[in-house]
Amino acid sequence: MAGSVPQRATALIRPAPVPGRHRSGAPALLLLPFFVLFTAVTLAPIGYAIHLSLYSEKRSGLGFGGVQRVFTGLGNYTSALGDQAFLDGFGNLALYCLFYIPLMIGLSLLLALLLDSALARAKRFFQLALFLPHAVPGIIAALIWMYLYTPNVSPVVGAMESAGLEFSMLGNPVPAVVNIAVWEWTGYNMIIFFAALQAIPRELLEAAVVDGAAPLRVALSIKLPLIRPSLVMACLFTVIGSLQLFTEPMILHGAAPDVVTSWTPNMYAYTAAFERNDYGLAAAASVLLALAAAALSFLVTRLSGGRSGKAKGAEA
Amino acid sequence: MSPFPFSRRRSAHGPGVAAVTALGLVTLVACGAGDGADSSARKGPVSITFWGWTKGTQEVVDAFNASQNDVRVKFQEIPAGNAGGYAKISNAVKAGNAPDVFNVEYPQLPDFVSRGAVQDISEQVPGDLKSRYLPQAIRMTTLGGATWALPLDIAPQTFYYRTDIFEKAKITSPPKTWDEFRADAQKIKEADPQARIATFFPDDASAFEAMAWQAGGQWFKPEKDAWKVDFLDEGTKKAAGYWQKMIDDDLVHVAPSFSQQWTASLQKGRTAGYLGASWGAGVMGSTLPDQSGKWAAAPMPTFDGSAASGMVGGSTFAVSKDSEKAEAAVRFAQWATTTEASIKARIKAGASSAYPAAPKLVPVAKSAFKSALFGDQDLYGLYSDAAKSIRPGWAWGPVMGATDGSLKDSFAKVQKGGDITTAVREAEKATTKELRKRGIKVTG
Repeated sequence: MAGSVPQRATALIRPAPVPGRHRSGAPALLLLPFFVLFTAVTLAPIGYAIHLSLYSEKRSGLGFGGVQRVFTGLGNYTSALGDQAFLDGFGNLALYCLFYIPLMIGLSLLLALLLDSALARAKRFFQLALFLPHAVPGIIAALIWMYLYTPNVSPVVGAMESAGLEFSMLGNPVPAVVNIAVWEWTGYNMIIFFAALQAIPRELLEAAVVDGAAPLRVALSIKLPLIRPSLVMACLFTVIGSLQLFTEPMILHGAAPDVVTSWTPNMYAYTAAFERNDYGLAAAASVLLALAAAALSFLVTRLSGGRSGKAKGAEA
Repeated sequence: MSPFPFSRRRSAHGPGVAAVTALGLVTLVACGAGDGADSSARKGPVSITFWGWTKGTQEVVDAFNASQNDVRVKFQEIPAGNAGGYAKISNAVKAGNAPDVFNVEYPQLPDFVSRGAVQDISEQVPGDLKSRYLPQAIRMTTLGGATWALPLDIAPQTFYYRTDIFEKAKITSPPKTWDEFRADAQKIKEADPQARIATFFPDDASAFEAMAWQAGGQWFKPEKDAWKVDFLDEGTKKAAGYWQKMIDDDLVHVAPSFSQQWTASLQKGRTAGYLGASWGAGVMGSTLPDQSGKWAAAPMPTFDGSAASGMVGGSTFAVSKDSEKAEAAVRFAQWATTTEASIKARIKAGASSAYPAAPKLVPVAKSAFKSALFGDQDLYGLYSDAAKSIRPGWAWGPVMGATDGSLKDSFAKVQKGGDITTAVREAEKATTKELRKRGIKVTG
């Protein structure tokens, strides 16, 4: 791109740093806040969780004689991985992602393309209206939807029943949770895609139109490839966010017993810690989940990295 | 001199550094407050913190604080135990900032004791104090020979029902046996296809456990140095089979307890009864304000027709492990569970229908309790008989979190090919596994 050449040039002719206390101290000082916070709120808790995960609490006899902390090595990890409930949590999560990610990304992309098309009216209004659900906190959203799912209470269920349609959302956790998540996140991702679409140079689109490309062709062959980096980023964040699924199913759990106590891996860790008071197991489950998230993020960035690199090459 | 001598330097460092310093200070201050809050050495009243959720608790705390000057109780209302309250307490115990005293229900007390979250208060509770409570309540707060909590109420299961719906279905008297209960359930469904006699709560294991208890089940038996665990005894099998048949034949609703779904169904008259605890009447009073006089209470039906009951919940006051003010905490707990003033404050205006574990307070509770929902019925007379009929021999195990968690998860499937007997078998397996994992001995 045109803009990048002078930048690179400046980078090359930048003078080497002058040795001296003041100069070398400044970057360190400016970076310090980040590292202090990073250590305090990220590294330390992870370290503590790993530490917790290596211990178990043991009693003896009837169990009323006191508690001993015993080092169990990877014992908690093997019992988490050997627990069908924990693995089922990953299964539920996979099923959820299978429906949620294509649906939500597809919908937000479609909405962004519609807003970006020359035909759209009242763009500002729709942008705001579509984004609004995201401004509602997850807990509130889950509570509202729980109300809308509950028979005898919900006007929607009532209307469906009188129309002869019987589908219990509370009895089917996956669609119930996917629906809430789509409602919450479509607007947010739509804004990201819309912003990326707005950044596409207009002359490119004009050229396409002059060449006789129909709006659909412009969208598929020009706009989509150009916003691929945004798409990849949105997918990445969605995958990581999905792995941490907790609030919505936890709220639904109160109304829908089908959302079992270990419905997602995060809920499994929560139950292990606060209902079964097995902090070691909870920590091990959390560490395993974090590893899964790291592996998945790595995979997604790797796959997308190659492609967006190619896209950049094509641009140049 | 400039009033802001450091302004230039600060601006040179940027707001980031200031923010971090401030954050660090906040953290330090927060830690300091946690460690140094103990003021027992200071003169003046001892201040203790208390977490609870039972109805009328705020009134009890206010009355206690007004009654004397030695102990100041700071009350914080938390969600009901199984609705997140226990999670909150466990978390606080783990983090070292637990309240001095908190409510625990009987089923969870052994769990709390076993993981060392509450302290042994045998020394603060002399024999003559113990003799003021019902022996059943003392049995359930004495574990491994030590006293761990003071009992507030005992909670025999009771059958609450809508008299008008029963009349419409041509049922003249409440069911005495489970066979009659089933026949009545059919009549109610015939009279109104949307109505059912009661609700099976898949989210609340304690309701089913009370019915297994009532039928003679004994899941946990503490032997000398080990637990005898047997969930599928005759009584439990009977209760499990009975309820599964009720569900299969669509004679009861299946909905979570205290959920919107359940409440709405009660409000619309589609649920004609509730198998609840003694404290349930007070809760219903505030949920169903416009069904005055339409409800009545009856003893639990039984399999053989002779009175028997199990308990659903029932609260105690326990002192947390690390509290250094056990004496003040026990003093408050004693006041809150044995004095007339406390029970009057709690029961005022019918908000609570707790049946006191201290028999001396029953007449006080009875005269203080007024419920529009139940007209003039003498609920406390009914509870007294029900309390006497609580079957002895039931004990709660030390890992009820795991037991109930497993039951809840399998109860979710009772309408979809699962069944209660299997759920109980699974729960026994999960319980035994958890006990062994914690190093607790199991036989049988």
